Amino acid sequence: MSVLAVTRLELRRLLVRPLAWVLAALTLAQLAGRFMLLLQTFLSHQIAWAAKPAGPGYTDVVGVPMLSSILTSGILPMLPFGLAELALIVVPLLTMSTLAGERSNGTLPLWFGMGQPASRIVLGKFFALLVWLVLWLALTLAMPLSLAHGISLDWGKLASASLGLLLMLAALAAIGVACSAYASHPAIAAAASLMLGLALVSLNVGALMAGVNNGFINWLSMNTHLDTFVRGLVSSADVVWFLLVIVASLALATQRLGAERERG
Amino acid sequence: MTAPTPVLQLDHITRHRAGRPAVADLSLQLDAGQVLGLLGVNGAGKSTTLAMIAGALIPDSGAITLNGKDFIEHPELAQRAIGWLPERAPLWQELTVSEHLDAHGRLRGLRGTALAQAREAIIERLELGPLLRRLAAVLSQGQRQRLGLACALLHRPSLLVLDEPANALDPVQVASLRAVIREEAAAGTTVILSTHLLAEVTAACDRVAILHEGQLRYDAPITDDDHKMLEQTFFDIAMRGNGSNHRMQAA
Repeated sequence: MSVLAVTRLELRRLLVRPLAWVLAALTLAQLAGRFMLLLQTFLSHQIAWAAKPAGPGYTDVVGVPMLSSILTSGILPMLPFGLAELALIVVPLLTMSTLAGERSNGTLPLWFGMGQPASRIVLGKFFALLVWLVLWLALTLAMPLSLAHGISLDWGKLASASLGLLLMLAALAAIGVACSAYASHPAIAAAASLMLGLALVSLNVGALMAGVNNGFINWLSMNTHLDTFVRGLVSSADVVWFLLVIVASLALATQRLGAERERG
Repeated sequence: MTAPTPVLQLDHITRHRAGRPAVADLSLQLDAGQVLGLLGVNGAGKSTTLAMIAGALIPDSGAITLNGKDFIEHPELAQRAIGWLPERAPLWQELTVSEHLDAHGRLRGLRGTALAQAREAIIERLELGPLLRRLAAVLSQGQRQRLGLACALLHRPSLLVLDEPANALDPVQVASLRAVIREEAAAGTTVILSTHLLAEVTAACDRVAILHEGQLRYDAPITDDDHKMLEQTFFDIAMRGNGSNHRMQAA
């Protein structure tokens, strides 16, 4: 029950800060622009693609690419970022203050003084971030779904991509919370979280260029696992990878916070 | 007949900070309704002691017992049993006074009607009504202290820990703070407050403990006729570190 109290407080704090609103407004405006460009591309090629037996449909050209550029990077390289790419920047900005902000504001000991264990503080803050990120994802999905009544959607593929994005957002949020737990200042937390996120998605670029597709380095990369979801496949191995990242990051944050109470 | 369980018992607690003992081998016992003034110059170890009592810091060695239970093993006891006002009342700048009270109440385990009643009572008692919609970031230092005190008292703790609560308060606010402390003690709450002002201790406390360089140098009840002697003792300890010949009795 107290995790809920922490989540509620953190969500309130998140929603009264201008940063969350500015990030939401700017990114959604950018995503709306991307939606219009994707839609225009779909409409201009619709007839040609319909003639092909395995031609891409609305979900392939508009729905899923709203979430990630993985499918469109080859055919539409000049398009602005999808949600997955934006998340690499947005999530570190959103998570940077979760614990580093408490530390620099002097409010961290207050949490311990209220008898809140480190795990409860970390989980409560993580869930609050997750609520914001789920709303962000839902508003992004609302754009392609707004045409669902007049267009045939591949619901399975869209659901799979959405699940992948949700797991990616949760993993980035958990990494951000962990960085915030270790950093003395929010800006340091944001920088560390951004670099870790970028490293995780680009870890296998070199391997792919060298033609290695199934190496350990590919397994380590977040893109390998997100790619499966974006292509419409839900693999338990990929789900487990994301869960491992989330659990490990939150465990590290909890451990660091507990040590802070001991070290002072 | 067995003696009542002390609300708080510190047994030989030691805590190092920056490589030196901030608190060394400190033992204390506090019963229900007692008001202890923890007196000491800056850097004497008062805030470290109070942070350990509040559960925000763990001692390197020694034991803390809260209402008969091992507090180090069960830090969650702080949720309902302790109200803590740290020095400079740390607040969440982006939240209003009202939101602070709600958040503290919920984090202390209060819900529904109990939370609403506790909230109304503390707003009335500390005259926070006109400030409810104001952001913590724009409160004056005195208002911040009042809000911090309200958050510490909201859940009716059995132990109230106040770290330099009179800092930056005007004389009227200091008088009302003393009144609150006396009311709490009369209701059976144990209060421990730290200060470097002797007048604060003699006005609000019924017992004084003097800390110097992390060590307890003096611990005795306060009587009306020994204020002068207490002042001399404090200066002896603070200026010369000379406290060994003073009283160290179980208060």
